[in-house]
Amino acid sequence: MNVWLGAAALLLAAGLGPALWGAVRGAPGRRVVAQNFATLLLCLLFLLLAQGYGRPAYVDLALVVSVLGPAGTLVFARLLLGEEDRDPPGVRWLTPVVVTGTAATVLPLCVVTGPGRATVKLLVIGVLLLAGGVVTTRAVRRG
Amino acid sequence: MDDVLVTASLLFVAAAATAAVFNRDPARQAVVLSLLGLGLAVAFTVLQAPDVGLSQLGVGSALTPLMILLTVRKVRKVRRTEKGAGSGPGSGGGKRRR
Repeated sequence: MNVWLGAAALLLAAGLGPALWGAVRGAPGRRVVAQNFATLLLCLLFLLLAQGYGRPAYVDLALVVSVLGPAGTLVFARLLLGEEDRDPPGVRWLTPVVVTGTAATVLPLCVVTGPGRATVKLLVIGVLLLAGGVVTTRAVRRG
Repeated sequence: MDDVLVTASLLFVAAAATAAVFNRDPARQAVVLSLLGLGLAVAFTVLQAPDVGLSQLGVGSALTPLMILLTVRKVRKVRRTEKGAGSGPGSGGGKRRR
């Protein structure tokens, strides 16, 4: 219907699909990294859906994910990962992907939304995502 | 486009649920279960029920995995102490399920 929903469908197929594949197989470290990727992509997906459906209220879902996603990853890093899972494969891609994905989604949305409270909310979500990416990367690295 | 999104999210939910069934270790299952929760939240949202998706996110992404992992840890600890008490030190604790 519109370009935002198209981007959301693409993100769901090409982003969350591989994340699920990574979470299903392999060592616990790899699974936790894949789960972290999934929460990041899910937050961006909700932002795109809110814009695509034209309902600003849906942004609240993205806000909740940007807080709860890193919290879930920290739970896994604390309780599931052991000494042998230190520095799992893929963790070094986490911060670059978080930065590029957040910038590529939040900035166009801000331009479309225009100045106002909604833009501030979008920027807050972006900052939360970046902070969550940095914190979870450090937590998963330490094992 | 709506149909594409609904189909894709339902396929994701089906794949995640199947994967959760075929993972036999409870601790690893918790990771797949949290992804299943995220997929369900997407499915509810594209079906225009974001309130249900919101509660699903709260429960599925952090709370359920936390409870499962705490339970697994407690069960393992109890099992290890029982083994250690039953057959002396050295024989228990070395064995871990996967």
